[in-house]
This record gives sequence, C-alpha cells and structure tokens, in this order.
Amino acid sequence: MEREGVSRALRSALAFGATIIVALSACSRRSAAVPPSNDLLIIGYDREPDTLNRFSTHILEDIQTCIIEGLTTTDEAMRVVPLLAQDVPTIDNRGVKLRADGGMDVIWRLRPDIKWHDGQPFTSADVKFTVDAINSPNYNPESTDGFDRITSVDTPDPLTAVVHYKEIYAPYDIQFIRGTLPKHILEGRDIDRAQDYNRSPLGTGPYRVAEWKAGEYILLERVPHYWRGDDVPRIKKLLFRFVANTNTRINQLKSGEVHVVALVPWDKYREIAAMTTMVVHKTPGNAYEHVTLNERQFPPFADVRIRRALIQAIDRELYVKTILDGLAPVTHGAIQPVSWAYTDQVTKYAFDPGKSRALLDAAGWTPGADGIRAHDGKRLAFTLITQAGFAIRENIAQAIQRQLRDIGVDVKVELHDGTAISALWFEGKFEAMLHWWQMPSDPELTTFFAADRTPPAGRNINYYRNDELTKLLYASDRTVDRAERTRLLQAAQRMLADDVPEIPLYSVTRLDAVPASLQHFKGNPTNTGIFWNVDEWEIR
Amino acid sequence: MRAPLVVLALLIAAAVAAPVIAPYEPDRIDLARLRQAPSAAHWFGTDELGRDVLARVLHGARVSLAVGLLSALVAGVSGIAIGGAAGYRGGAVDNVLMRATDAMLAVPRLPLLMIASSFLQPSVMLLVVLIGLAGWMETARVVRAEFRTLGSRGFVESARALGAGHARLIVRHLLPSAAQAAIVSVTLAVARGILLESALSFFGVGVRPPQASWGNMLYQSQATLATEPWLALAPGIFILITTASVNVAGDRLAGRRR
Amino acid sequence: MGNQVARFLARRSLQALPLLFVISVLVFLLIHAAPGGPLAIYLANPNVRPEDIERLRRALGLDRPLWVQYWSWLTAFARGDWGYSFSDGRPVIARIAERLPATLELAAVSLAGALLVTLPAGVAAGVRRGRWVDRATSALATAGISLPAFWFGLVLQIVFATGLGWLPSSGRSTPGADDFGDHVSHLVLPALVLIVVQAAAWSRYLRGSVIDTLAEPFVAAARARGIPRRQVLVRHVLRNAIGPVLAVVMVDAALLVSGAVVTESVFAWPGIGSLFTEALARRDYTVLMALLMLTSTAIVVLNLVADLAHALVDPRVALT
Repeated sequence: MEREGVSRALRSALAFGATIIVALSACSRRSAAVPPSNDLLIIGYDREPDTLNRFSTHILEDIQTCIIEGLTTTDEAMRVVPLLAQDVPTIDNRGVKLRADGGMDVIWRLRPDIKWHDGQPFTSADVKFTVDAINSPNYNPESTDGFDRITSVDTPDPLTAVVHYKEIYAPYDIQFIRGTLPKHILEGRDIDRAQDYNRSPLGTGPYRVAEWKAGEYILLERVPHYWRGDDVPRIKKLLFRFVANTNTRINQLKSGEVHVVALVPWDKYREIAAMTTMVVHKTPGNAYEHVTLNERQFPPFADVRIRRALIQAIDRELYVKTILDGLAPVTHGAIQPVSWAYTDQVTKYAFDPGKSRALLDAAGWTPGADGIRAHDGKRLAFTLITQAGFAIRENIAQAIQRQLRDIGVDVKVELHDGTAISALWFEGKFEAMLHWWQMPSDPELTTFFAADRTPPAGRNINYYRNDELTKLLYASDRTVDRAERTRLLQAAQRMLADDVPEIPLYSVTRLDAVPASLQHFKGNPTNTGIFWNVDEWEIR
Repeated sequence: MRAPLVVLALLIAAAVAAPVIAPYEPDRIDLARLRQAPSAAHWFGTDELGRDVLARVLHGARVSLAVGLLSALVAGVSGIAIGGAAGYRGGAVDNVLMRATDAMLAVPRLPLLMIASSFLQPSVMLLVVLIGLAGWMETARVVRAEFRTLGSRGFVESARALGAGHARLIVRHLLPSAAQAAIVSVTLAVARGILLESALSFFGVGVRPPQASWGNMLYQSQATLATEPWLALAPGIFILITTASVNVAGDRLAGRRR
Repeated sequence: MGNQVARFLARRSLQALPLLFVISVLVFLLIHAAPGGPLAIYLANPNVRPEDIERLRRALGLDRPLWVQYWSWLTAFARGDWGYSFSDGRPVIARIAERLPATLELAAVSLAGALLVTLPAGVAAGVRRGRWVDRATSALATAGISLPAFWFGLVLQIVFATGLGWLPSSGRSTPGADDFGDHVSHLVLPALVLIVVQAAAWSRYLRGSVIDTLAEPFVAAARARGIPRRQVLVRHVLRNAIGPVLAVVMVDAALLVSGAVVTESVFAWPGIGSLFTEALARRDYTVLMALLMLTSTAIVVLNLVADLAHALVDPRVALT
C-alpha cells in the first residue's frame, strides 16, 4: 500500500511528462531548420524597430533600407552614390551653386519613371514635402540636422528639386540619404501618429512590408515591379526575427533557424567561421573604440604628459591580438581608413611603459607607499565608466585597469546600463569613459573636438580646448571643395594624434555572417547597413 | 547534522583563506593564455582574460557566501518578524502588514536594486542589505500562513486562557511549528541571493570588476557555454555545494525541533 | 460561509484601491529616479542637437514638474487612457495587448506543469523521508534552485535546439507553419525552465509541510480509524500541508504573470517580460507605469486568491 499511493503518483507524473516530450519531439522535427533559398531568407535581428519611418526611428535602419530609398546612398567603400537621383550634385557638374550671400543651392535631378509601391509617381514634390514636414513644428523626427539650414525648395518640374541652403553645408550630398516622405499619403496629417505609414511605410525600394507580428518578426515581400527590373530582387521574402539575446541569436545561426546575423561579436567569429554553410564577411568599419579623458572632471588629464603616459602604458596591439582575436586593427585617430579624409601620417604611440613612467615622474607624480602616484596630495586615481552587457568591452576595461596599475595609476571600473551612461556623458559627469563613436560617413570632426562644442552644443566630451584645431575644423566645414577639406582634415588628424586628447584603441570591424550560398553580398561600414544592395542578392 | 555544517565551514574557511591558498592573484591578467582548458598549471582553466578560474572561485566565495548567507539571514529575520506579527495578531495589523508586502512585491526588484546601487556606493554590505530586503516577502507570507493554520487549531486560545504570555506562546509553540516552512524559505533565499547577484551583473550593479563572484562568473560564462563549459562548471558546482549543505543543514535543524 | 466570503471580498477590494494608489506613486518615483530618460537614446546620434532634444522634451511633456507629470498620468490612467509609448508612439494599451497573451500562455502552462510535478514529488519526499525517493527528489530540487534560469535555458537551447534539432530554440511560432504542433514545440523549452525552477522551490515547501503534518496526532488517529492511506494523504495531510505552498505559489504566479523576464529574453518569447526589459532600458515611462500597475493588480488579486483558497481548503483558518 505504501508503494502504491505516493510513488505511483510520482511515477505516473514522470511518465506523463516524458511521453509529452517524446511525442513533441517526434512531430516537431520538421519545424527546426529551413535552409536559405530564393524563396525565403531569415535574418536574426537584435531588436524590434520602434518605427519603420526612417526619419523618426532612433535605431539602425536595416529593415527600412529595403523599403525606402534615398536620393543617394553610401556604398561599400563609403562613397556617396546616386540612388533615386540621377547623379550626385557637385560644383563641377553644376549641381551645386554657391551664392553671393554665403548660401548655396543644390539641384537634385531625379531618375525618371520611379513609382511608389502604390503606383503613384515619385516626384520632386515629395522632396519639397519632406523638407517642409521635417521643418514643421508639428512633426518630431529624430533630428532636423541640415534640414533646418534649408530655407526653401523649388520644384521647377517633377524631376527637379532645387534646395536653397542659407549657408554652406558640407554634407549636403547625404541630406536625403533617408529618402523622402510620400506627399500624397502624408500631406496634412499628424505624421507622428500616422501608424499606417509608420508600421508599413510606402517606399520605392525592392521590398514592402507583408506582416509585422509584434515582438516576433517582420516579414518583407518583394514588390512585383521594382524600377531596376522585374527580375530583381531575386529573393522573394525576407524574414527579420527579433532575437535580443546575443547568445540565442548565435545558437539560432548554428541550428539553422536563422540564416543571416549582422554584427557578430568578435569572440564568436571562430565558431561561425568554422561552419561550412556560413561565411563571415569582415568589413572595416567607421566606428572606433576609445577612452575619452574628461579634462573638466579630472583636471590632471589636461596635462599632455599624463595623456601621453597613459596611451603608452596600454598595449593596444596585444589587446587586438588576444581579446579581439586579431579581428579589429589598432587605430590612431577619429577618422578611420575607410574614409576619404584618412591619413596614416600621424604620430603613432607604441607600447612603452618605461616612457610612461618617465613622463609621469617629469610631471611631478611620484609613487606613494601603495604604489599609486600622487602630486601635491592628490592621487592619480580616476574612474573609468563603460556600458554593461558587452563582454569584450568589460574585458578591455579590466585589461586597461591592470596595465595602468603597473605604472602607478589607480583605475576603478564602473559599469552602467545604456541609458544611464548616455545621461552621464551628456552631462559630462564622468572622468574617463570607454566607448565607441560611430562616425558619420561625412568626416566632420567639429562636433567632437571644437572647443565650443562641449555638451550640450556638441560631443566634445573631452572638454578639450585647442584653438588652432578649432579654427581648422570650422574651416573644413565651410568649404565643399574636397581637396581643401582633405588638406584641412589631415592637418587636424596630425594635431589630434600628437596631442592625444583621448586614447584611440581600435577601429571597429564589422562581422556579418551570411550563408555561403548568398551571392553579391557587400558589407557596408556605415549605418546604412548590410541591406544597401539587397536587390542584388541571390542564393545559388 | 555534522556533515553539512562541516562542508559549509570548509567553504567559509576557504573563502576567508583565499588570499593565502589561491594559486594566483584573482585579477592577474595573462593575455597569452586566454580561455585555456583545465591543466596542471590551472586546475579549473583560465577565463576570457587569462585569469586563473580557481583563484577567482576562491575569492568569489567571499562575496557570494556573504551575499547568500547574510542576505538570507536578513530576509529570514525580517520575514519571520513581519509574517509572524501578521499571522499572530490578525485583524488590522495583518491587513496593514500584508498590504505592505503586496506593495513590496509589486515594486520590481531588479530596477529597484539598480537604482539604489546608482545612488549609493555599491559594496558587499550594501548588496547584502538590498538583496535581503528584496527577499523577505516570501518568508513573511509563508510564516503568516503557518501561524494562521496553527492559530486556528484552538490551542492558542486554550494556552492564553491558561495564562500563557504572548512571548512564551510565540517562542515555545508557534515558532517551532512554523520552523519547517521558515527554514525552507531561508535556505531558498541563500541560493536566490547568490543568483540575484548574478542577474545584477547584467545591469552592471553587481560586484564591480575585477572583483569575482560566483554570480558574475556564471553570468560571464553564458557566451562561451558551448565552447568553454568549465567557466560555468566551476562557479556552478560551488553554488550547488553551498545550496545543498544549507538545505541539508536546514532540514536536520527542522527535524531536531520535533 | 458565503456571507463571510462576500464580506472578505468587499473588504479586500476596498483595501486594494488605496494600496494601488500608493504603489503607483512609489513606482512612478522609482522609474523617474533611474538615471537618464526616454531621450537618452537620441544622444548617441551625433546629428541630434540640443535644439532637437529640447523640442522632443517639450513634445513629450518631460519639461513639466514631476508631480504635474504624475497627476496627468494618474487622471488619464483612471479614465482608461494609458497614453502613448515613448519608444514608438503607439498606444500603450495596444503594445501590451498584443504581448499579454504570450505571457499568460507561458505562465499558465508552467504553473500547471510545476504543480503537476510538485504535488507528487513533495508528498512523496515528505512521506518517504530519508529514503531514496526523498534523497533523489531533494537532490533534483537542490539542483533546480541552484541553477540560474538564464543558464538552464541556454543549456536546453544548446542541447535540444542547436545540438539535437528536436525543438526550436526561440520564438513563439514559425512563420508560415503556424499550427498547434508548432506552437506547442515552441512552448516546451521556456516552460520547462520555469517548471523546473518553480517546482524545485515549491516541492521543498510541500515536503517540509507534509513532514510536519504527518507528525500531527490526528493523522495517526485517522489511520487508526482504518481510513485508507491514500485518502489520509489527500484528504487530511495534503489539505493541512498546503498552506505555505499556496502562499508561495501565488507569489510566484504573480511574478510569472508580470513576465518571466530572463526566460523571455533567452527564448525571445514575445511576452510582456521582454516588453518590460526593453521599456526599462529605454526609460519608456508610459509603458513601464502601465505594466507595473498591471503587475501590482495581479499581485493583489492573487494574494487575495491565496488567502481565500487557504480558508476554503482549511476551514478552521479565518477569512480576514
């Protein structure tokens, strides 16, 4: 009787559970993995978009790129190339006119015969409407940068838009990289609340939204008549599955439940490269990881000897070789090799802790009893903040902490979540920060290093003051002559590399995992993302 | 009763003696030997910065044992006091205390801890108090349920009629009978405390790097679970041993009281 | 008895309102105390200038004093207007409604599953204390409570999805193959994680409670009267031992209903747990307030249910 009552109940419960699992596994084999094909390509995406409106979204625009096309776009070499425009306006091709009053006019010639997905023609009226909408107080796009310098737009004919700027605006060529808002759909409406557009935008691109299942996925389907030809895009459906957890996403890649993952973390490279069905593309990126040194919050950073001592105490080459598995190169400045303004003729500091110690001694910081240097009673101790949740970054921070201790500098590492850290650096309430900037495709450095562009006016969170550099940077903004800008920006890079207001670490290489059978994939170093040429993709 | 206590004592002794018995410094970074498998030089292998895992587990014991054991104590004592008072007095006292418990349950733990840590300097003591204060609710509800069950048996009234004082009743009769449930909830709180610290690492408000704790070692091991499982096994085993000893000790303690 | 129940319900409902009000103030202050705000994500974009931030701050009403923001939220919320999400501008009600079913489904399945495991396991361990059944279940329970949910979930994923390919590793459905079998296969792993974690804890309580109850004289008395063991166990022992278990089950149920945050993250389960994590990261105050009020209501209701159930199962316990 003892055995019967309880143990029987227990055993039957276990048996029941086991039966369920076996039954399920038997009938579920089919649901696990579908290989990539021209019928369906599944992308593991790291977050759900907030909106598909390219002007309102605060996060990357990969999905939107498939639907909405800009007048220009940036290609795999970060060159600005025409998309819906016939060509990129320049002074040479009479597309840009500098006015006597200091302003400029940009003439956009649009490609003929482009239609919105609903059949209506795409015209210059849409360009004008976009500018007016963004500048209107009724709409809250993420940024009005550039648009607020446009005084008016003329539309002499449906294929020409003349944009009048009140001053010279160097990045005019990417002004409409995000595309245009369709006038016939959005005119007179509250765009922030136009959920039909924001959830399923009207575009001219190779795909349109078929379904958006909240919290799970967005399904895009090819449009029947794309302007580049009815036979493209070759891939009929793109499924973007939202998988926020990085480990889960990589596991899905391995199990074949997703076929494409963009921005694979470097410590996962080997696992995925080892899969014969996958290829990992490396694209040198336009972002760089660095340690910002806030001179205002921690005054010793204002002494260039200290900054030079710090950079020479950190073995950047070793970090790149070991922690980053050699996947991202050391960088020496804010402008990266992919940019047209890049120069590598700059001071490059090598790992030399002996020199660091000498510099600190010369600057009057002598080691105390605990090994930490001090000067006039103040210890050389600061706090390095960085965002939590990124393993590689946390490791680099700890490696830096350890190496700086070896030269007598005490570093405390603090981790903060993404929002908290934004608030901190925006208010300048930190001493040193390990993070990266994703640089804009136009190599403007003014907002990062000009003396008057400390927050909230800009991103000079080093609170760095160099008047000569500031003059150089503003001069480079005020010309559209590429040769002149290059000369000025290269001089700026030399100055920055020598003076090290911040410690550049490495250039962020983008790793994108795609099926080996995917043809014509070309990585993209900018925020335009890997789908910039999705119309060329094919599975073979 | 001896065996689990001996195990716990050994763990605590190892934690206290960590600086002496650990084969390496826990934060000694060796970038040439990242993520190595267990070997003669490194019994539990090395982690993603080349640090010796055994040394980190030993030093991590100091934080995790403190957080686990002490926070469970805080949670237990406050939970028993509150649940006991509510279950014994009943009426308005019970209502107020239980509604306060509801309120505490409604406030989400992780954001609360995250925000508290951003104002105050995080330290092990602070973590102990915060995690303890975030965990008393379950003990309170469980002890209250027990007190109410016992109270309804009628012997409370008889004992009071016989002139027994409140304190005597509670200590000699009610508490020992509620001990079983109370002890279970305190032993659960030990494991939960250690694991909550692990969840806090995600928001960056667990122990600060480079300080090791079993919780943050476990959190960091997620990314390499398939390729370097020893990084998860080492802290995981120690957490298991701690929880098992606490459970067995608790069970024997409860058994004694009958 | 019916009268008592009615009075109990009335009393507790009356208490609920001021309680929820106090909770709303507490959580409102809490989420606003977190550093940063909904505008913080804009800051990462170098093209966003101070004018843009100011404009957005005013548009979202974040420039008003805190108590004004609270009052405006409260009055709207009470009217049923839950506002618009700061993240995507859509109505909060819509965002929650589209994700609530997923969480409720997972919660229901894992609660039922955990109970199904707990009842036999806890009773068996308590009755056969010290024997192999007890040792085995206690060992499993110890393992269950020592495992962090995220870790266990990942291991399951690696073994069953990536490794064996038997089950999908995440999500709630396979687009295109959206049938019942597919649905169930997606539910298995996340539910398993929750079942193990909960049953491990609950069975410990039940075991302890059963051990205590078995020592009570009335149990021996019932056996002596010749009542079959099975009946004694269910009618007498279980009824009396269930108290603490009910308490803890309801606490866990409330937490489950508010979304098992970690499990939903690991398995990309589209429920309100992942909505909460995302809203917290983005400081989406409107969504957070709505979710927290939902959770609080669930907790208040479930604790009420626990007390009611306890009184019904054990009639000697008063209904307060």
